Amino acid sequence: MHKSPTIATALTILLVSIFLISCQKDSPSQGKLYLYNWTYYTPDAIVEQFEKETGIDVIIDNFASNEEMFAKVMAGGNEGYDIIFPSSDYTSIMIKLDLLEKLDHKRIPNLKYIDPLIKEKASYDRNMDYSVPYFMGSSGIAVDTSKAPEGYARDWSIFSDERMDGRMSMLDDMREVLGAALKHLGYSGNTTNEQELSQAKDLIVTEWKPNLVKFDSESFAKSFSRGEFWVSHCYPENVFAEIPKDQWDTIDFFIPPEGGMMYIDNMVIPKGAKNNEAAHAFINFIHNPKVYAQFLDEFSFPPTTNTTASKYMKNHSFAFTSEDMSNSDNIMDLGQDLEKYNTLWQIIRYEP
Amino acid sequence: MRKLLKPREREQMLGTAYAFPMGIWFTLFFTIPLGIIVLYSFLKRGLYGGVEWEFTLDAYKQMFNPSFGRVVIRTLWISVLATLGCILIAIPCGYAMAKSKYQTVLLFLIIIPFWTNSLIRIYAWISILSTEGFVNSLLIKLGLIDQGLKLIYNNGAVVLVLIYMYLPFAILPLFTTIDKFDFSLLDAARDLGASKLEAIIKVMFPNIKSGLSTAFIFTFIPIFGAYTVPLLVGGKDSTMIGNIIVDQVSKTRNWPLASAFSMVLTFISLVGVFWMLYNGKREQMQSKKTTQQSLEQNIKKHHLIRGEK
Amino acid sequence: MNYHTYSKKSSVSFSYTVLALTIVFLFIPLFVVVFFSFNSAKGMQWQGASLIWYEKLIFDSPSLWAAFKNSLIIALTSSLTATMLGTLAAIGIKWYRFHGKSYITTISYLPMVLPEVIIGISMLIFFSAVKIRLGMFTIFVAHTTFNLPFVFMMVSARLDEFDYSTVEAARDLGANERQTLTKVIIPSVIPAILSGFLMCITMSLEDFVITFFVSGPGSGTLPLYVYSMIRYGVSPVINALSFVMILGTMVIAFTFRRFLKTVAASS
Repeated sequence: MHKSPTIATALTILLVSIFLISCQKDSPSQGKLYLYNWTYYTPDAIVEQFEKETGIDVIIDNFASNEEMFAKVMAGGNEGYDIIFPSSDYTSIMIKLDLLEKLDHKRIPNLKYIDPLIKEKASYDRNMDYSVPYFMGSSGIAVDTSKAPEGYARDWSIFSDERMDGRMSMLDDMREVLGAALKHLGYSGNTTNEQELSQAKDLIVTEWKPNLVKFDSESFAKSFSRGEFWVSHCYPENVFAEIPKDQWDTIDFFIPPEGGMMYIDNMVIPKGAKNNEAAHAFINFIHNPKVYAQFLDEFSFPPTTNTTASKYMKNHSFAFTSEDMSNSDNIMDLGQDLEKYNTLWQIIRYEP
Repeated sequence: MRKLLKPREREQMLGTAYAFPMGIWFTLFFTIPLGIIVLYSFLKRGLYGGVEWEFTLDAYKQMFNPSFGRVVIRTLWISVLATLGCILIAIPCGYAMAKSKYQTVLLFLIIIPFWTNSLIRIYAWISILSTEGFVNSLLIKLGLIDQGLKLIYNNGAVVLVLIYMYLPFAILPLFTTIDKFDFSLLDAARDLGASKLEAIIKVMFPNIKSGLSTAFIFTFIPIFGAYTVPLLVGGKDSTMIGNIIVDQVSKTRNWPLASAFSMVLTFISLVGVFWMLYNGKREQMQSKKTTQQSLEQNIKKHHLIRGEK
Repeated sequence: MNYHTYSKKSSVSFSYTVLALTIVFLFIPLFVVVFFSFNSAKGMQWQGASLIWYEKLIFDSPSLWAAFKNSLIIALTSSLTATMLGTLAAIGIKWYRFHGKSYITTISYLPMVLPEVIIGISMLIFFSAVKIRLGMFTIFVAHTTFNLPFVFMMVSARLDEFDYSTVEAARDLGANERQTLTKVIIPSVIPAILSGFLMCITMSLEDFVITFFVSGPGSGTLPLYVYSMIRYGVSPVINALSFVMILGTMVIAFTFRRFLKTVAASS
């Protein structure tokens, strides 16, 4: 006899929850902005400032690699995002596949603050028709000087240093690692020449990999700060975020002189984005020099991309500078030839 | 006036009504997706992901690439080790729990860790095993070693954490089956002259076969397809099949290849499920027969030893 | 006789030792997690006890609570759906013969056994092929799918011990199907239904791999949030949350302790 109320309660809860779910499904778009961004890439303070000034609610989903983001996009998971932050190679793929909305420059007056140099590097979209650069940066090598032996090489050959066997990590990223080897050998990081690529693969497999403990693009910063890795092929902002400021002088971060792989992360609006208006407003907001300066300070980034912002920056000691990147290659899309990299990367990763 | 149905028809209708909601759900959201994967494994890959509608066996050919072969072998031995570890630990645990007066409390204790977020537990192991983590700090303090041992980011750590994650899956089925086992049979066998170990092996094991096979299936197959553990605690040479599949979907965007690998794993799982169900049925029918037989054998042996010619 | 008793004791104490050690082994990471939730420093160095992470958890973690809310909604809806569908199916399969019965029986065990990456990927590919947008709904569907087998199994196991003659008696007394169902069958399998439901909630709340593949804009769940934090350093706030959740589940488990035995019995 006492089963009926229970069933009724259960059904009620079910119906209410389904209702809640369906509410989430077709969320009203005025007042909400959905970002698909790298983890922690846009400081909370900036997001909150935007929310206060415009009254728009910002919701951020994260990804940790372009591939992850793109896999979701290709599976139809990009619907519902108003702004996505792909790197150059994926931006150009998305443009080729006609996945992006054309931008209305009239609604983004702050574009005038963007460094013309970066527009040159962004050969896939020089006029910013579909993408606005968010940040131009680079990976590099971080060394824990409190642990590493003296006299290590301050270039890519550090990974051949057997004294640090089992204490080094490289990014789990095919373009970054093959790119590093290519640059060390004096080739372009975007080459499709099979001999050059093969040499790079041999370098990695015979000299670097034996000394590595892990290919890690996810928790290298944590492991570095824990003393597990002494040398880490990394993105500096992640590492510095993990280590207390008073220990920053024990970290030697450098971009090897022969150059490495740099990236330009862009803001794009996917086709069918529900809140086009707010998306444009957000992009414009980011490039307000005062706001951008906050972003740079948060990560101790040098003022690439939006050089006017340097006036407002409080921080003037950077992990790296634009000059350090002068020999670096921007990661570009290689279309069909990417398969050559895939094959070699499989050998590097899967064969002991 | 309600139509009077023949009993058989009525049975059909009722059974169908009860089971079909779930049946439809599964067909729609499980069988069909798996079907799509079968389909995709025979298609050509799209340049930027997805597939092109062209029949090809490329994906299956690619599976036989030697670099994958290494990964498969590694996955096999890691899985076998981890499964063995789980089962060998789970048998005495199940035995002790079945004989205990505090079964509910023990169950409670076994299940609770399982209710914590799995990522957190894996992550805790990282801080336990890392070079400056708990274990090493302790060993250094005790003066047993000078420098931290490399306990993490290798295959050993993967096996250890896999055992940790899947132990409850082995303990619970074994506990259930051992609980139903009639322990007086063990006493009877020992009274007839069998040693303690002999009794357990010849009398108990055959009767808990279904528990053993369930435990085996519920540990080996998920471990075989593990992804997070090798990713987080493994080293540069700890890639397992699960990692390959995910890589093929997100990194290389070779969906047909990912589908081909998935097909193989699905096939193995199906075989496993059939084996488990078959064992369960067989045991129900044979359990009494087997114990009787082995008891009879023991009695005969006993008489022989006693010298009755 | 004495010899037998002695060896019986030692065989039992061997297995008890293993059991005790195993339980300790299972709990070690939990202790680590809780331990660090009280550490005043962010990293591994112990720097004195503090409750700041608990404060931060309650007052300063909006995205965490948003993720938690999503997790809860999905857990409730998928568990309720799975429980209803699974219970009915268990009843149907136990006592009736019909076309397609063996198909359904086999297919219901598979999701429990199949590795999660395969379920996740197949659902991702399925949703993309039929153009269903990824989001809360797709996570709901995925969770219900992998929850169903557990309910099905538990209720089936319970029905094994249920005497069918009661049902026949009810029918002879004139009850129609609905009455038989609600007044005879369901009341006696309530323990299994409840444990099935609890099991679903647990599995749904902590699922990571499958959710990772089928989540969409704004539908991040707690495990996804934890994963993104693990990559860039887990803030001890997560440890604080874990401890709170452990306490919470212990309270719930204690309340339903009678049903725990059914949980194990049916697995």
